[in-house]
Amino acid sequence: MTSSRLASSADLPPWAIAAALALAALSFILLAFEMRRRERGGGVILVSGVLAVVALLVAVLRPVRIAARESTVGARVLLLADASRSMALPQPGGGTRADARDRAIRTLFAHANGARFLVQGFGEGAGAPLDIGSPVATASLARRSDLAAALRAIEASPEERPRALVVISDGRLDDPPEGASREALRTLAGTLGVPIHTVATTRDAPKDASLRRVGTAGAAVAHVPFPLRVEVGCAGGLVCEDIPVTAREVREDGPPALLASGVVHVKDGKGAADLTVTLERAGTRILEVRIDAPAGDTIPENDRRLITVDVSRERVRVLHIAGRPTNDVRALRDWLKSDASVDVVAFFILRTKSHDPLADPNDLALIPFPVDELFTEYLPSFDAIVLQDFDAQPYGLEKHLPALARYVRAGGGLIMVGGPNSFVGGGYANSPLGDARGVLPVELDGSSHATASDPVAFDPAWTEQGRVAPLLAPLRTVVGDELPQMPGGNVLGDARPGTVVLWSHPTRKSPSGSPMPVLAVGEQGDGRTIALGVDGGWRLEFSALGARTAGRGYGALWDGLLGWLMRDPRFEPAQLEVLGGCTAGLAGTLRAHLLPETSDAAKQPLTLDIVRVDRDPAGTKTLPVHREVPRDPSGATDIALPPLPAGAYVSRLRVGASGSTRHDFACEAGGDEWADSRPDGQRLEAIADASGGRFVWADEELSQIPMPSPTTVSAERHVSPIAPPWVWTVLASALLGAHWIARRRGGLA
Amino acid sequence: MTPRSSVSAVSVIAALLLVASIPKPARAFGDAGAFDPRVLLTGDETGAAHPSAPASWSSELESRTSAPARHRPLHVRADEGALTDEPFVYWSGTSATPPLTAGEISGLRRFLSLGGVMFVDDAAPHDDGTPGSFGLSARSEIARVVPDTTPISIGTDHVIFRTFYLLRRAEGRVLGPRTLDAVVRGGKALVVFSEHDVGGALARGTGGVWELSVTPGGYEQREQAIRLAVNVAMYVLCSNYKDDQVHAPYLMRRRALVPGSGTVP
Repeated sequence: MTSSRLASSADLPPWAIAAALALAALSFILLAFEMRRRERGGGVILVSGVLAVVALLVAVLRPVRIAARESTVGARVLLLADASRSMALPQPGGGTRADARDRAIRTLFAHANGARFLVQGFGEGAGAPLDIGSPVATASLARRSDLAAALRAIEASPEERPRALVVISDGRLDDPPEGASREALRTLAGTLGVPIHTVATTRDAPKDASLRRVGTAGAAVAHVPFPLRVEVGCAGGLVCEDIPVTAREVREDGPPALLASGVVHVKDGKGAADLTVTLERAGTRILEVRIDAPAGDTIPENDRRLITVDVSRERVRVLHIAGRPTNDVRALRDWLKSDASVDVVAFFILRTKSHDPLADPNDLALIPFPVDELFTEYLPSFDAIVLQDFDAQPYGLEKHLPALARYVRAGGGLIMVGGPNSFVGGGYANSPLGDARGVLPVELDGSSHATASDPVAFDPAWTEQGRVAPLLAPLRTVVGDELPQMPGGNVLGDARPGTVVLWSHPTRKSPSGSPMPVLAVGEQGDGRTIALGVDGGWRLEFSALGARTAGRGYGALWDGLLGWLMRDPRFEPAQLEVLGGCTAGLAGTLRAHLLPETSDAAKQPLTLDIVRVDRDPAGTKTLPVHREVPRDPSGATDIALPPLPAGAYVSRLRVGASGSTRHDFACEAGGDEWADSRPDGQRLEAIADASGGRFVWADEELSQIPMPSPTTVSAERHVSPIAPPWVWTVLASALLGAHWIARRRGGLA
Repeated sequence: MTPRSSVSAVSVIAALLLVASIPKPARAFGDAGAFDPRVLLTGDETGAAHPSAPASWSSELESRTSAPARHRPLHVRADEGALTDEPFVYWSGTSATPPLTAGEISGLRRFLSLGGVMFVDDAAPHDDGTPGSFGLSARSEIARVVPDTTPISIGTDHVIFRTFYLLRRAEGRVLGPRTLDAVVRGGKALVVFSEHDVGGALARGTGGVWELSVTPGGYEQREQAIRLAVNVAMYVLCSNYKDDQVHAPYLMRRRALVPGSGTVP
């Protein structure tokens, strides 16, 4: 489009034009004032005066003609579409809230008024371009709906500022929160200086009873009861009164363990219950909190939440049981007692029935060994059990070995330390600790001709895995490759699958023909176990090597062993995380942060195994995931995860020879976004009201939303003066002279 | 053979086979982890003041407790590297010990820094319980080894008096003082001094006959001396196990039953 117009000379600043116009106006006033004093010739004076002032003004302004080729550019309008998981909830009348959102966006497109629309989805952090109607957009990925963060990102962006904002959402936002003040809402758009129009996709809440919030007060500490506040809501006209609620701990081995249960009394659509739960194991634990929703509930997915709880540990509680006092027992006890982070409960067998102390019982400082009490009532309260040279049979431990195996599989730690009464010699071979499904990391010979121990002294040999295992790194720092000579050892069988053998016997072979394990570590269910088939560990303190190293090797060994048993991050070969959390049905990424490896180990691939550990309510079997990926030299290796159904999972990453590490995580269909299924149109209305925008329901006429006018842009411009400046000057001079003559003739000065 | 006797014979054979098939545990994989009352030798010493006492100590310990003990205790010189091979030494004498050499002092310091325990037994104390020449000289030499710490008196409130037996006082071949003295570091008794000739009460001659009579005398005094020796061994093997809270209510109840027990005078 081509246009033409007049303008003043471009070299005049706006103030000069204003001053000239003001002087011209003043001249007209003076002229009118003087006309009253004329004697004659009023018409000539007036006309000549007016012409002279106009000519003078034109001489100053020097008019030019501007010819331009122009185009109209629509205003930039940003549509912020809610891309959170709540938009995947069903919409009354069919479809989802995301469908209603996309319809609204298309309707706005139809009423564009030339506006340039940019559609961004908001959820977590800055908004991202949203391709409406695509399967990805329909899935609504984000686990949060943070409108404030998206607006802050727009404000900080160097791109062209929008002239209007339109938010399309169900109103169930994380930020701004429910009940935010008008002042807070007014500052939402920051310095953008534009109104925020809002479109609410959903009017009515679905019939739904849900776990709206599961919260803990403070940190969860192992063995310490902590409150779990469960908030339940009922909406959409669903009749709710008393709703039972349960909290269970999901365990890899066996069904979830019931931790607490209660009843939520629902009044005015909401209610809460405070449960007290105690988690015995530290680390990442997954709680399943579930309500029994009344009939008519339309969204069963939010009746169950899988909560990941990071359980810390004040002190490691260790039960140390020794079959008899020896130098090895002394060394371990002294180390355990020297560590302020370890709380030791110890029981040593100081006398058996075959020993006669020649004293009245009241003269003895002996107490009964409370085996039944320890292994029934108190067993879960310990983080680790150390059985050192302890014969299971004479002291009634045999009948508790099934419970001990269950304790391990439920997440407890077990260390069996060698001695004549350990392993085969202690009667563990055919027990739940040492049989075919036993929890010890090595097999034990349960035959009648089994050899329990080998009294020939030997120097333990480091295995390749032992050399790179993080848990023995502190010991290797102190002693290097050297280990003290051991005064014989227990005869152990082959390592079980998944076991890492750290030391082996230099000459003895296991039944499979491989070097006999001397120190081996393994995982069973949620727990970990260690087999140390010698009773000469104390020689890391008292020996020539001990003297050279000031006895530090013993503490370094046990620091690593107990630390690994307790999943101390220092001794894990890698740290795992699911990037952005896991959303059911969507592919994800698991990132492994790895410790530096030796060059040989770095070439070995990483092996990831993921198994589902909760029971699928639908009874569907979830296949385990197995991945082998090359190690990324940067130290962080990303492993693609397939879409997983909602549930609790255990991932195990085997890192070359360094052993394996574990990470528990939960996948939820909706998570927090589905916890409260009610739409919140009022909040959207308040946002629009506070910023001067317009609120509209998606099923109303969306043309009510005012769109900003388009902007005209000149593409090509020609400026030409109407006449040269001297012409205007001469004309003004002539007219001024004529006016002077007319004034003189009229009797004016 | 009657059917009944056949059954009995089969049963006996089966029992014998069963017994034979039970895995035979080794004894502490060659005694290495067992209690060893190693005799400490300094200067020109060649053995303990009462040579039979260490073996008798082991024997008493093994017969009364579950602790394994070395039947033929070793001898070790203070300036030998082998001093740091085990966590206990027994030093006794009847006459003043010559000053320790620099090597001996260095060896003993290394031994104690590793957490080793030393039992210094005056084999010739005066009858009134005051230290003899060995006791006095040993104390001054130990003061050179650990110059920063002086011995303190330890009585029935110390764990040594309850590691196995509940003892009312210290006794040996000589009744001596009711308490022991000890160099305590970090709450642990590293060097325990006895002015009771505990070894003299333990010493046995050929055929198991007690070599020395106890002063002032009586079966009970010797028994108490043996119990003290057992407790010292148990302290070496169990450290402060009997200080654990779990034992407290039992031991307090029993202490209350023992006449004359209480605080150290």
